[in-house]
Amino acid sequence: MDNKKSNQEIDRRDFFKKAAASVTAIAGTSLISSNARADDPAIMKHVPWGQTWGDPVTKNRYGVPSKYEHNVLRRNTKLLASGNFRASIAVTPLQESMGIITPNGLFFSRSHGGTAHIDPAEYRLMIHGLIEKPIVLTLEELKRYPSVSRIHFIECPANGGQEWRGPQFNSLQFAKGFMASAQWTGTYLKTILADLGVKKEALWMLAEGSDSSEMGRTIPIDKVWDDAMIVWGQNGEALRPEQGYPVRIVLPGWEGNLCVKWLKRLEFAAAPWYAKEETAKYTDLKPTGKAIQHFYANEVNSTVTSPSPEIDWTSLKDGDIVEIQGLAWSGMGTITGVDLSFDGGRNYVKAYLKGLVLPKSWTRWAYMYTYKKGKELLLTSRATDDAGYIQPTIDQEVSVMGVEAVYHRNAVETWEVTKTGKVNHVEIRTMKKVKDA
Amino acid sequence: MLKFNRKLILSMSTAAALALLTAGCMGASTSITHATTEANGKATIDGGSTYPVVNDKTGPYYVDPQVAADAPKINNGRVPTANEIAAWNTDIMPDGTGLPEGSGTADEGSDIYDAKCVACHGDFGSGGGGYPSLSKGNAYDLQKTLTNNRWKDPEADGPVREFGSYWPKATTLFWYIKDAMPHPFTKSLSDDQVYALVAYILNVNEMKIDGIDVDDDYVLNREKLLKIKMPNRNGFEPNIDGPQALDDVRAFYADAANFGAQKIKKGATPCMKNCQAPTAIVVHIKGAGISNFLPPMSDARNLPAEKKVAVNPASVYKNTCEMCHGNGVGPALGNKAEWAPYLAHGMKKVYANAIHGTDGGMPAKGGSSLSDADFKTVVDYLINGK
Repeated sequence: MDNKKSNQEIDRRDFFKKAAASVTAIAGTSLISSNARADDPAIMKHVPWGQTWGDPVTKNRYGVPSKYEHNVLRRNTKLLASGNFRASIAVTPLQESMGIITPNGLFFSRSHGGTAHIDPAEYRLMIHGLIEKPIVLTLEELKRYPSVSRIHFIECPANGGQEWRGPQFNSLQFAKGFMASAQWTGTYLKTILADLGVKKEALWMLAEGSDSSEMGRTIPIDKVWDDAMIVWGQNGEALRPEQGYPVRIVLPGWEGNLCVKWLKRLEFAAAPWYAKEETAKYTDLKPTGKAIQHFYANEVNSTVTSPSPEIDWTSLKDGDIVEIQGLAWSGMGTITGVDLSFDGGRNYVKAYLKGLVLPKSWTRWAYMYTYKKGKELLLTSRATDDAGYIQPTIDQEVSVMGVEAVYHRNAVETWEVTKTGKVNHVEIRTMKKVKDA
Repeated sequence: MLKFNRKLILSMSTAAALALLTAGCMGASTSITHATTEANGKATIDGGSTYPVVNDKTGPYYVDPQVAADAPKINNGRVPTANEIAAWNTDIMPDGTGLPEGSGTADEGSDIYDAKCVACHGDFGSGGGGYPSLSKGNAYDLQKTLTNNRWKDPEADGPVREFGSYWPKATTLFWYIKDAMPHPFTKSLSDDQVYALVAYILNVNEMKIDGIDVDDDYVLNREKLLKIKMPNRNGFEPNIDGPQALDDVRAFYADAANFGAQKIKKGATPCMKNCQAPTAIVVHIKGAGISNFLPPMSDARNLPAEKKVAVNPASVYKNTCEMCHGNGVGPALGNKAEWAPYLAHGMKKVYANAIHGTDGGMPAKGGSSLSDADFKTVVDYLINGK
């Protein structure tokens, strides 16, 4: 009997299951100690780490994960490899994610000219254009403004964008991992602007990065006066270079691409800029031939994170009580509820929100389920938010957006659980042109 | 501005409080005060919620009322010089703001393209190497493909979203080339070179300016560039131009049907039974789908494969062996006479003792964590002295 099996068999849940099953099963899995089976060497033997010195506290002045966690990584694919992985993306392993915060080293990384490494001593932020008092700030001056800390996800609007015409990634990491979440620390942009006299003709603001692509986007003034943040902190430490060190803008809930990294300049104007990433890309082409430009917020969305194609249910036994877990998020507000379906979104039951439920933030949800070995399932989750939105079915979404939109796909997602407990990414949809709903 | 801002915050709270009174709580999360309209009663810019400050809180977060309600006018910086603003204010707007004077022909552009661009963007902008293509042919014809949707047949012709057929403004191209190209050496092209490259890209997209073909010797300059009417200039929504632009954006996002969203009425229960169209089927990934992940997918918690690190026997000796072998305990480094009796048992035995240790006091591998093969090189060093 190997280790793993013996561990499983002394599990309490297993006992309850077998107790209900048969008398012989009870005898075999009794909670009463006996010597009827081989002892677990993991218990019986001294372990090497129990008999020798561990590392001194002087090792790893900046801590690193256990060497056993070496497979928990950002990953990429050659499909999205433009520019020798410098106009590219590496995505977050949501299948291993816990809670509503992503460790900084696993935060998805997307750039248009590679990760810039900025000398903080040479960092400057310039704010100019239609304002009374233009200003230039050093990093130290910027960090003297009163600070706020907020937990928000940042999501690339192309999250799930490869799958408008059908599922492609048998993977949670790639199907939904173009996003991550952190507690951001910075100052509200409106706090800096209070003294600068923004003119009333100023309807738009350009945010521009100092990386080699000089990434820039046009932002409407409403967001500037609402919750736009100039951010230097990420989960209690300086921003990582991949997140724009030393300073980025965070527009809670809005496209990751709008949250310009390596921020160098904010300019106010009466007209929008038509930057490359708001014309050539990040526009949603509809079947009418019109494309949505300035599509700001990531809409209400959710996914089952456990099980996943990566970490499936093949090791579960009949009768195991297991927690189905997931994430829900909305860039348009606060999650108000999540429903879970076992038949691909035909019928739903209410799932339960867990932990902190914050605006424009990842929200954990769960549902306790008694696993029936051999039963096929289609697990679909569906979230609602406080702005009144609910995730559409795929048919509902493509009836308006068609299948060529690339961005902002938020229809319900489905995992197929096979008879053996394997998990596959599937889509529940009508495979033809959908008439207007 | 500050005054306006304060007013905005105040009236937003009123709106939010009112909304709360009339609508009551929504769903499970509830106590968070939010509004989907702004102070003036207009819809929010993105169709979503905002969280005005109420009782020193925005949503669930406490805010410092010294900052939120009566924002102090803090100015920690300095005024930039005119030269500094000019150095960074290099964006180019559709009305020509920021667009420099200069000129270049498509022919000149072709030479620059072949020298600096073709490796990534392909012959005549055909793409390749993972980089975007810049043309697929005649811009005016291809603009008509934008209504194509590959509903069923993935091999069908999809919409062609190239510079010529899709982009609404030509200034965007000039700006992007000037600031962000060539990809590994950005901001290295002169204004004339950029005009030449734009002319070349217009040429391969078979475009016209003022009814005239941009052929090989067409001289593009600032005035002509601003005359370009992109075929798809009316292909975008909502309207973002003019003084009413923000109202147009608000109106667009106030209607969920415009952007494929679904809303449910306040307090209504969402569909819980028969929520899929009867025609909906389970669609599986075709073949293996996209699965060339780097690094390969795994959730194993084994130890990573050991990296082959070249062992320096001299430094291992110094750190691990010398405290005994250098002090008369065990045969000394390179001392043939002392080693002879051990070697008489054969190297196999010597290696085995070194690796597994002996009752005589030799610790296994001298207490190091080297692999067997690596430790054998240390043993060889100890015997030979080099």
